[in-house]
Amino acid sequence: MRDGMIKRISHKVGGLKNLLLIGTLLFTILVVLLDWYAADRILRPLGYFYLFFAIFAGFFGIYPLYANRRLTRYYWVRTKKHRLSVFGLTFITLLMVTALIGPFFTQDPTRINFQEKNTPPAGFTIQQSVHDLKSGEFTVREIPGSWQHPLGTDDKGRDMLAMLVSGTRVSLQVGILATLLAIIIGTIMGVVSAYFGGIIDQVLMRFTDIMMTFPFFLLLVFIIFIFGPSLAFIILAIGLTGWTGTARLVRSEALSLRTREFIMASKSLGASDARIIFRHLIPNVISSVIVIATLSIPGIILAEAALSFIGLGDPTVTSWGVILNAGQRSLDTAWWVAVEPGIMLFLTVLAFNFLGDGIRDAFDPRSQLQESK
Amino acid sequence: MNENILEIAHLKTYFFTARGVVKAVDDVNFSLRRGENLCLVGESGCGKTATALSILRLVDSPPGRTVGGEVRYHGEDLLRASGDRLRQIRGNRIAMIFQDPQSSLNPVFTVGDQVAEQVKLHLGLKHRQAMEKAVQLMEQVGIPMADERMKDYPHQFSGGMKQRMMIAAALSCDPEILIADEPTTALDTTIKTQILDIFRELKQARDMSILFITHDLGTVAGIADRIIVMYGGRLAEAGTTLDIFDHPKHPYTHGLLKCLPDISNRKDRLTPIPGMIPSLIKPPDGCIFYPRCEWHMPVCLQKRPEEIVISGKHRVACYLYS
Repeated sequence: MRDGMIKRISHKVGGLKNLLLIGTLLFTILVVLLDWYAADRILRPLGYFYLFFAIFAGFFGIYPLYANRRLTRYYWVRTKKHRLSVFGLTFITLLMVTALIGPFFTQDPTRINFQEKNTPPAGFTIQQSVHDLKSGEFTVREIPGSWQHPLGTDDKGRDMLAMLVSGTRVSLQVGILATLLAIIIGTIMGVVSAYFGGIIDQVLMRFTDIMMTFPFFLLLVFIIFIFGPSLAFIILAIGLTGWTGTARLVRSEALSLRTREFIMASKSLGASDARIIFRHLIPNVISSVIVIATLSIPGIILAEAALSFIGLGDPTVTSWGVILNAGQRSLDTAWWVAVEPGIMLFLTVLAFNFLGDGIRDAFDPRSQLQESK
Repeated sequence: MNENILEIAHLKTYFFTARGVVKAVDDVNFSLRRGENLCLVGESGCGKTATALSILRLVDSPPGRTVGGEVRYHGEDLLRASGDRLRQIRGNRIAMIFQDPQSSLNPVFTVGDQVAEQVKLHLGLKHRQAMEKAVQLMEQVGIPMADERMKDYPHQFSGGMKQRMMIAAALSCDPEILIADEPTTALDTTIKTQILDIFRELKQARDMSILFITHDLGTVAGIADRIIVMYGGRLAEAGTTLDIFDHPKHPYTHGLLKCLPDISNRKDRLTPIPGMIPSLIKPPDGCIFYPRCEWHMPVCLQKRPEEIVISGKHRVACYLYS
């Protein structure tokens, strides 16, 4: 009896998988609302967003990969041929794990302790001249690095490791969420514009042109000036301005798809515009969109770092840009404060670029892969 | 059997291009009866496909637009039907298949999915039933091991198999009318014969009306009940298969028939029709076939020839018979 009901409902929404997804989402929303009602918020708003993001990623990313194991293996074999892209994937996976669970294992990144300021990373020793209050003379003292602060401390004695881990979280948050927003807007704009053509195409594309000519950094500065420097606004601002390239590329791909006969065929068999867009056009451009997304994440991470570096970032979070900014002031006394986030940024950007290249080659059947020796 | 289920009257579809108005379909009249196989024949660019697309209002707009006429399906004018009504008819009552099977299927979904999608869309079946129905349809169009092959992607199918899948998708809702736009042109001869056999069976088994578009009179001979010869966006001659093959009237039909190889009367050379199809942007005032016609007369230059009934269903638009 109850079994029958579940079956009937799952038929209505198009299969058990969708039922599970809807169920999970409803449950999560319920928990969030209860949480809100009890005024006992465990997570910050972005945390909830993460939760939904994870659910969607699981259902639309991980489950299909598992369900189509043959295809997954095929893509994996093709991606694997690029050694560098495997490095990229490994590094990004590590970053994500770090961002998710890292903060539970490190010290508080905001705890200030002037006793331990400017400790070098473990294994390094620096010489520091200290003003002795009693004798009134400068004495040169050796400060060795300690394993208590494996990556050293900054000029306020904050633990560098903890700050870098916190920065990882911020950077990935900004990079992934803003990209997600940008590619969703870009894909819809591009596909709609290509599919309907005519006046709609003109209007949407001229709007894209205007968005493109708008100095993006200036816009960011304005938004932050008006709404205050909060991470959510930075993500929104980057996402709402960064979709233009995606829209252009998706439009050009969809334009060539639109004239393919299967679009006409499904139209002749009674498909509606929405069905053609969502079932025939978007699935066919999604591989390019994934590649653009992967390649645009590093740019956005750098943009956030740049904003924080010039002091327009969210002051309540420790991002890599904030650390860089602090390190830049004490470059002569404590080089590691600037170098460490720099290395992290460098590696992260490189890893995303390598991964993007690898994915592009894996998705593009025309690309010639060299046989591995 | 004699009921007209589709009537096309004064159909005009023009393409508004930068270089001028192309009158791709210019005042075309014909009707389709239940269970009849009607063939539209003509050279490339003579408006066959544009006619077929206009029936279901699939002409790309812009630049194309159907500027006049009527397409009456059971008396209902499709050119004035609402979008929703049109979608109900497309695929459900009138289905269409296209020339190039290589690109007629969406490369990112399995073939079974795509046939089942049609069934789900129009018959409201659930996923599992739709899949079962898809297997049945695939078996009907002669795909071996259908329950296995339905999980394949289009690139794993050959051209002939893809065309069978398109036919299966088109048949999914048991339509009354099937419009086939050069369905065999892209296929090799053996496959072509098999596909034509499918059409013949369908017509007999389901009492389906077929509007078959082709440029090859040889293909037509075996399957058509009636033939319409089009030239330059207009009807040149219409009649039963026997009328057209045994008593062709229009000079263009004569020309087409001379291009056919004939096994009982071997010639070293086939005779092509001289000249090219004229630009449809500025067609000549009189008969559009005038420049290529062997028997042209002064009157042909003055006015467009009216259609003349020769006998029964046999109509021709030529001054030779007035």
